[in-house]
Amino acid sequence: MTKLDDLLAYEVVEGLTEGQFTAEEYVISILKRIEEVEPKVHSFITLDTEGALSSAKIIDKKIREKEDIGQLAGVTVGIKDNISTQGIRTTCASKILENYVPTYDATVIRNLKENGAILLGKLNLDEFGMGSTTEYSRYHPTHNPWNLDYVPGGSSGGSGAAVAAGECTVALGSDTGGSIRCPSSFCSVVGLKPTYGRVSRSGLISYANSLEQIGPICRSVKDLIMMLNIISGKDAMDNTSIPSSPITVPNKSKKLNVAVIKELVTGSDQEVAKSVFSASEKFQEIGFSCEEVSIKNLHYALPSYYTLASAEASSNLARYDNIRYGFDYPIGEYNWDTYFSNVRENFGEEVKRRILIGSYVLSSGYYGKYYLKARRLRSLLRLELLTLFKKYDLLIGPTMPILPFKFGEKIDDPIKMYLVDVNTVIANLAGIPAISLPIGFSNGLPIGLQIMAAPFEEQKLIDASYELEKVIHIQRRPNSI
Amino acid sequence: MISKEDLEHLAQISRINLTENELEKFPKQLDKTIEYIDILEELASDDSVNLDLQELRFEELRMDEISMSDDKQLNKNITEDGFLRGPKMK
Repeated sequence: MTKLDDLLAYEVVEGLTEGQFTAEEYVISILKRIEEVEPKVHSFITLDTEGALSSAKIIDKKIREKEDIGQLAGVTVGIKDNISTQGIRTTCASKILENYVPTYDATVIRNLKENGAILLGKLNLDEFGMGSTTEYSRYHPTHNPWNLDYVPGGSSGGSGAAVAAGECTVALGSDTGGSIRCPSSFCSVVGLKPTYGRVSRSGLISYANSLEQIGPICRSVKDLIMMLNIISGKDAMDNTSIPSSPITVPNKSKKLNVAVIKELVTGSDQEVAKSVFSASEKFQEIGFSCEEVSIKNLHYALPSYYTLASAEASSNLARYDNIRYGFDYPIGEYNWDTYFSNVRENFGEEVKRRILIGSYVLSSGYYGKYYLKARRLRSLLRLELLTLFKKYDLLIGPTMPILPFKFGEKIDDPIKMYLVDVNTVIANLAGIPAISLPIGFSNGLPIGLQIMAAPFEEQKLIDASYELEKVIHIQRRPNSI
Repeated sequence: MISKEDLEHLAQISRINLTENELEKFPKQLDKTIEYIDILEELASDDSVNLDLQELRFEELRMDEISMSDDKQLNKNITEDGFLRGPKMK
């Protein structure tokens, strides 16, 4: 029999409903697993052991009294530490927010709790979501469970690593330029960035509002469907949220038209490109049509992304003045400007660089040259993609152009670090959904396939991922730890 | 090129103190980033492109309604008489 801590989300719900184990037994098995691997992986910033155990007891009581337990009953969820959780410290992996305890739950957290999910704690990230490795976390880096010398990807690196290491059943991440898909690819798990507007951002601590979405990271496509349906929907607290139809588990295979994005494959490492070609062959074997396409405006996507994301970050992070909440720094006799500047010295280097770049591209002399051009490119790219989606159901390519790399390899060169996001930012700029699905390994390091679809066509992403998952069996949890 | 003076100005308008180490290494790093995004200049300025990806209609927005929150728990600088204490302006 599968070990309790190895169960997938839908198996946990089935097992509980059928009385094979109690929620408390399941949570204890997960907590033991955390105790065992956390000293090596370091996925968590805050662990809420007591909260998790008490939620489990409530579910067990409901089961005994034959009450409704919800669609995610007993499923343990790790939450990226930039999503607000009432009564649980939410730091964004920043020292600026080291004492911040939200007074309300993000809408996605409310949805999870109402459906019986058990919150385990808060997972590591690059400070405010700015980074691709978790090396910019102000607490500690997270290690890749497949090889502890390597980065887990980022910014939701804690979420990717925790799911792969079996420290939680599923996790929530957020994706501004690839922050869900990058760690999903590097840790061999499934991660989805939903269409902009499918999931409420209320309670997600803002970095770049026009680009980011909360999304699930799981060990199976079926788990991902469960999570996505629970967190999706129109929310009065987020005016950019839009109602959407629920996703169903595919019951018969559909024939879809797939196109491989040429530039994304040619720009990748050989091993990565090889895996993508072999995945596209598998698609053909299951009856999908497969062609190659080019995206004309792709070349400008990454510079546009960094212009827009930094501009929005410089405005969003202006709120951190340490007055209403923040770390311990006495007001004393400082004047406003000095106090404001002094406390903000506490941001990490990458956050400071992005705020400075954001101020630069928004300043009067450069606004037209950078910011407006970036917005134009964004619209052009979206139009180009929407035209392609009239002909093709899905666009595919590698999630990451390279394999996971070692700690310290890119940290001293911001541009080198930014370049790893080149394939993922497209979906954020265009507001379209994109999934990363494990498709293989090279030297023991995971490779992910990115599949993109037209806005609100998540069902097609799921249909294709579900079919591919059935024919290529890729390990989701390492044996080594 | 971003000079040390430019950087100090950017830091001032962004209200961020930089450490000596940052003042030393940021000019070169920011230069490289700006050089990288300079490629955007090649794009034509075309006013016919709609810049808004998502249109929000006014009637769809919710009303601004005052509701009470538990912010007292948050406000570490709240005074006994209920005001928030901040640094002096000058």
